[in-house]
Parts: sequence; structure tokens; C-alpha cells
Amino acid sequence: MTEQAKLERRYRRLLACYPRAFRRENEEEILAVLLACAQQGQQRPGLAASADLIKGAMRAWLRPALGQPRNVRMAIRLMCAGVAAQLAVLITAVATAGSVRSAVARGYPGLATQHAVNGNLVIDYVAASIGIVIWLALTWALARGRAGARVAMAAFFGSLTLSMLIAVGQGSAVYAPADLSAAAVVWLIALSACMLLFTRTSSRFYYPQSRAVTPWHGTFGGM
Amino acid sequence: MTARAMQEATYLILTALASGSQHGYGIIADVSEVSGGRVQLRAGTLYTALDRLRADGLIAVDREEIVDNRMRRYYRLTSEGEQRLADEAARLHANAIAAMLRLKPDLAGGLA
Repeated sequence: MTEQAKLERRYRRLLACYPRAFRRENEEEILAVLLACAQQGQQRPGLAASADLIKGAMRAWLRPALGQPRNVRMAIRLMCAGVAAQLAVLITAVATAGSVRSAVARGYPGLATQHAVNGNLVIDYVAASIGIVIWLALTWALARGRAGARVAMAAFFGSLTLSMLIAVGQGSAVYAPADLSAAAVVWLIALSACMLLFTRTSSRFYYPQSRAVTPWHGTFGGM
Repeated sequence: MTARAMQEATYLILTALASGSQHGYGIIADVSEVSGGRVQLRAGTLYTALDRLRADGLIAVDREEIVDNRMRRYYRLTSEGEQRLADEAARLHANAIAAMLRLKPDLAGGLA
């Protein structure tokens, strides 16, 4: 296999990150440009070019659907921030596990308490990981204009609120202030995104005018 | 509400197409030249921008050619793209004049 063929194969692997429709339209052309920009004898994509392609792929996946209003665009950006914040929650939970254990042990000494704390920490890790997947899936679906995702986002916000209340009830403010702060940031981002998603202009985007404004269209002779 | 300022990469891509249709690699080279080598577009950034500009109706595909067994697509500005570029250039020009007037009032007279 020639050097250029190897490079082409590796670029194609990176381009596989793009949505199918984008690839169908642009893959051969991007490949031609990438190969034209390559150094003599280059066999592997450079780090910067690879990062640029991955960033481009993420943008292509989250590309605004046609006619996306500003409120929805801002909500999508917030959702991306939500993914990062949820990741920060997971990192914080892992990083502060030791201090949470010792803080609880000081307040409630005993083996049973330690087991309960360990159990809670595992639940936190799993919940934060699932949270990242949910944020990503909702961001993608909302960017594509899926009306159901808006309802799912509202439900997700409800579950975040509930988990915050439970955490406060369990004394997180005393034993795990860093975790609670990180979770509060996620909650605020979710709240802001929901507020933007449920404005009148956003509703018109998710429910096209014929359905949203005249829900009885057809039933009463097209009035 | 005022129109949002155009991103520099978008502005430079439209500028590259203002003198005639160009293919992807040509746009990268032209943007580098227009910006004095300061802006080096990468393929991922370029095609994300081209895809968006096509969706917004500011550019369109002019023609496609096969060169060395590879597809080469030429892009051109649409009339809407020309208008947006002209508006943005006028806005930047006005901003530059305003800044120069405050920095060097004597010099600004010659720029306006």
C-alpha cells in the first residue's frame, strides 16, 4: 500500500465520524483537499487536522436544522455546556470520594455508615455517567428539531431537581459541598435550557405552525 | 434587533469567492493570502462553514470537475452572499474609520 493510500484510509476513518448525509455530499471533496494539503511522504493525519475533523463532525451532528430560531440555538449551546458540566460532576464525585467518606465517618462513625456511603457513591458515579449519555442524546435530538426531545428534556430537568432535593435532604451541603455545587451548575444549565426551549418562538420551531396554531385544522373544515 | 457580526472565517471565505468561483483547496490558499498568512483554514472547518453557507443560501455550487480521479467542486457567491459580504465589509470599514479617528485624527481624514 502506498503512503498516500495509507493516509487516505486513515482520513476516511476520521471522516466516518461525520453524519452519513454530510459524508455523501462532501467526503470525496474533503478527502481531496486533505490529501492536497498533506506533506510529501505523510502517512498519518496530523494532530491538529484530526482535532479539526472531529470538531467539524460534532458541529455537523449538531448543525442547526433549517429555520432554527435563536432561542433554540442558544439552548443547544447550553446543552453542550450541560454535557461538559455533567462530566465535571462525575469527575468531582470521583475526586472527592475520599473526603466525603471521612466527613460522613466523623459525623456517623460505624461500619454500616461506611457501607451506605460507598453504596451512595457508586449510585452517584452511575447516575452521572448515565446523565452524560442523556445530555448528549437530548442535545442531538433537540438540534434535529425532535419535539419529543423537548418533553424529555423537561422530564430530565424534573429528575435533576428531584435528585438535587434528595441530595440536600441527605446532607450533601455538609458532607459533599463540591459535589452539590457541581450538581447545582448542571441544574441551572438545565433550567436555562428548558426556559429557552419552551418560549413561543421555540414552540413554533418544534411544532410547525399548521399544528401548533390551528390544532383543529381539518376537523372544522380547515378553519 | 441588529444583525450579528460575521465570523472572521466566514467573512474570509466569502471574500475568497468574491472574485469568482473557487474549489476547496483554492479557498484555503486564497484565505491564507488575503489574511497575510494569519488565518490557515483546515479542511474540517472549511467544509463545516461551506455546508452552513450553502444551507443559508449565501453560496452555491458553480460546477464540478474530476481532476486526477478526484472530485473538485467549485463554489460561487449568490446575490444574497454578495449583499451580506458588502454589508459586513461596510460595517468593518466604518468600525475601522471610527477607531482610526480616535487614535490618529489627522490620518483618518485620508482614510474616509
